[in-house]
Amino acid sequence: MSSRKQPKGKIRPPKKPNSADAQFNDNWDRLAQAIREIHKKNASILSFEELYRNAYNMVLHKNGDKLYNGVREVITQHLEEVAVSQVVPAFPLSGASSSQTNPNGAGGANFLKVLKTVWEDHTTCMLMIRDILMYMDRVYAKTANVPLVYDLGLDLFRDTIVRSQNYPIQNHLLEVLLQQIKLERENEIIDRTNVKASIDMLLELTDASTKDTVYATDFENKFLETSSEYYRVEGQMLVGEYDAPEYMKKVDKRLNEEEQRVRHYLSQTTEPKIRNIVEEELISKHLKTVIEMENSGLIPMLRNEKMDDLGRMYKLFGRVVKGHDEMKSAISDYIRELGKAINETVTSNTTAEGGNAASGDKQTGATVAVRWVQEVLDLKDKFDKVQNLALSNDKAFQTSFNEAFEYFINKNSKSPEFISLFIDDNLKKGLKGKTEEEVDSVLDKTITLFRFIGEKDVFERYYKQHLAKRLLLGRSVSDDAERGMIGKLKVECGYQFTTKLEGMFNDMRISSDTMTDFKEYLDKSVLEKPKLDLSVTVLTSTFWPMNLSASPRCNLPPELTKACGTFQNFYLGRHSGRRLTWQSNMGTADIRGSFKARKHELNVSTYQMVILLMFNDKQDGESLSYEQIKGESDIPEADLKRNLQSLACAKYKILVKEPKGKEINPGDQFNFNNDFTAPLQRIKIQTVASKVESEGERKETREKVEEARKHQTEAAIVRIMKDRKTMEHNLLIAEVVKQLQSRFMPNPALIKKRIEALIEREYLERATGDRRVYNYLA
Amino acid sequence: MTSKVNSRLFQELTNDLINLLENDDEHDVIIEAGEGENTRKFKAHYYILRMRSPYFRQALSSRWAIKEDGKYIFKKPNITPETFDTILRYIYASTIDVEKLNEVQIVSALGAADELCLNILVEVLQGELL
Repeated sequence: MSSRKQPKGKIRPPKKPNSADAQFNDNWDRLAQAIREIHKKNASILSFEELYRNAYNMVLHKNGDKLYNGVREVITQHLEEVAVSQVVPAFPLSGASSSQTNPNGAGGANFLKVLKTVWEDHTTCMLMIRDILMYMDRVYAKTANVPLVYDLGLDLFRDTIVRSQNYPIQNHLLEVLLQQIKLERENEIIDRTNVKASIDMLLELTDASTKDTVYATDFENKFLETSSEYYRVEGQMLVGEYDAPEYMKKVDKRLNEEEQRVRHYLSQTTEPKIRNIVEEELISKHLKTVIEMENSGLIPMLRNEKMDDLGRMYKLFGRVVKGHDEMKSAISDYIRELGKAINETVTSNTTAEGGNAASGDKQTGATVAVRWVQEVLDLKDKFDKVQNLALSNDKAFQTSFNEAFEYFINKNSKSPEFISLFIDDNLKKGLKGKTEEEVDSVLDKTITLFRFIGEKDVFERYYKQHLAKRLLLGRSVSDDAERGMIGKLKVECGYQFTTKLEGMFNDMRISSDTMTDFKEYLDKSVLEKPKLDLSVTVLTSTFWPMNLSASPRCNLPPELTKACGTFQNFYLGRHSGRRLTWQSNMGTADIRGSFKARKHELNVSTYQMVILLMFNDKQDGESLSYEQIKGESDIPEADLKRNLQSLACAKYKILVKEPKGKEINPGDQFNFNNDFTAPLQRIKIQTVASKVESEGERKETREKVEEARKHQTEAAIVRIMKDRKTMEHNLLIAEVVKQLQSRFMPNPALIKKRIEALIEREYLERATGDRRVYNYLA
Repeated sequence: MTSKVNSRLFQELTNDLINLLENDDEHDVIIEAGEGENTRKFKAHYYILRMRSPYFRQALSSRWAIKEDGKYIFKKPNITPETFDTILRYIYASTIDVEKLNEVQIVSALGAADELCLNILVEVLQGELL
């Protein structure tokens, strides 16, 4: 400041200038001296006003270039001195001692510290130089198109110190920086401030040719290269030494550390680059190895439900391109494998017990089905949980899991039947002591399995059979539950799928009304009342799974035949033009049996009633042979055997069979079991109810399904052709498949056959010009 | 707002700033302009100088300026008090009464404005001379 007392004579008002040169030299000497004082940190003796005025005058008198170059020289000279006197002596011991990390680390840290001081001094000085040369910056630098003096200072620092031609400062700096980072990676504490100062310095310096920072040109690539190498080695070491969860934790930690490192002392631009390197070296390269780790990889994690580890793997592997794909396919394979195992236990069970099932071991068949569904549901639950807790409900994973379930569920050709049986099991009255909510939630889950079934029409057929039995035998847990289930199916497949099922319910309701009317009719009627209470359910034959062509025969007892006749008259009187066919295979009867100990009320099937009534005419001890029963009752053989089994070989032995045994054979003799005892007064004789079909029945069902498919296919073809009138073969096939696939997957050969059948029946014709095109014939 | 209203409001600001320059006792900078006999001390305000002039921003920065008795003392010997008065009024209130200046005075104000990096003022004064 000029207020400070300066040594007199140092500053004089310009006397008559001898010449412009002398004036220049005088001005410049003072400025050069002042810059040296600034470098010596003696700025407090200097006057801003004078120095500024000196520079101002020089520029004003067209000496800007001389001033600029002079300044450059003074700064360069100073920086050369700094390099020799401060930076070079601080070089860490290099080369041989670099293996001893500690001394080298300390030497490196000291070197960075010196460099930090040098850099800070330089920038401080440059700010002051810039102040006094502001006029030069504004007037000269602009017109001469040279860097502002502060930037000149940065360039000089870059060329004289950081990239010194005379001393290996650059090598030392890079080496030390990388060394410090390596030390930190190996859990040594380093002084981050020193590292940060050097990094910030490199970030402030610009490379002349690339216009990028010196950080980017000199440091970053080297850093990324060494990091790559470091993590390549570490990756190989880690997979060898750690199990999968530990490995992932280490990787997680590394990723975190590198992120922190960038945040604390590197440039943000490096963040994605170093992240990529760690991801590439520690994740991508070891994906399969980690997934497949023997006792700790993906499958063991799933097996032991290690949700945390799975979640970590999901997050970690999601960082790299193939990561989730590898996980997905590994998990899907595992699901298929587990599904295959479930299918196999079922097949082995049914084949092993096939003989028994046919001989009336009622539970086994259904049990296998229920167990299969339960196991599939458990598996589904397990993977839903994984999906939920570890995979963030990732849709892509869900899709791939669903495909796996679909695959193995459809591998089991019995799955439609099994699922229907499972539902049957849950909708049956009072079987499990489950609450309605529990049943409902089980059924909801079952619907998810239903979605996986390819042949929904096959399911429908079984469902109808099972539902019919529940309704007719009065075994439904509740109407609400049944309707709820049908509602669910409707949501899945539309109303077409469920109209017949709903029709069955209507029949039940109408029948109940009809029976009320029938009773009234009897009360008012003058006719002789039937000797028994008759309850009739009138079923619409198209809704119910019945075989009308082979209407079951059976010789009913006279009282019953008479009662049936009365009802028939009543019913046909109200609905003319209908035909009633008695389905005696589907009925039940309550009869009273007198045994030695007490009387029991027996709830039996109609067939069983017919069989038991035969013994009314017999003396005690008088037996009937199988052939006699068969001849007299005219019950179809399979049904007869099954019902005899229920009476003579099951829990309640109303009949005694000679010889004893589980099988019913021709020649067997049957006796009424007078000695029968039971704790309950009312006894229900279980008939073989829902069970897995035998091979013969299965074949029959299959044929029915095929027949139904023919009709549906033809209906679809006609529907489409009626709409389009003319269509090319392949397009027609595609459209038919599209319309039918919600029920089953029609194969093109089947469709082709149906098209031909329709051509034969003159619904369609081939176009005259092009045989690949069909026309609709109205 | 109409320009008439605007200029009236602006006039108010100008008056207040001139008033601040001429009559305020809370000044924190003293600038001594001129040499020898022809010197004069101007009272000024740190923030106004910093805000309006890049030159004074550097001159009064902590790198260079030192306070004495709570005030910055700054000497500007190569600018006469008359010229500095014109400059200071411009710095405070962005006004200059060119009509009252003769050509010599304009030239010396132009030199001072150039030295102190008052670019707009330089342009305005150059325009006057043409």
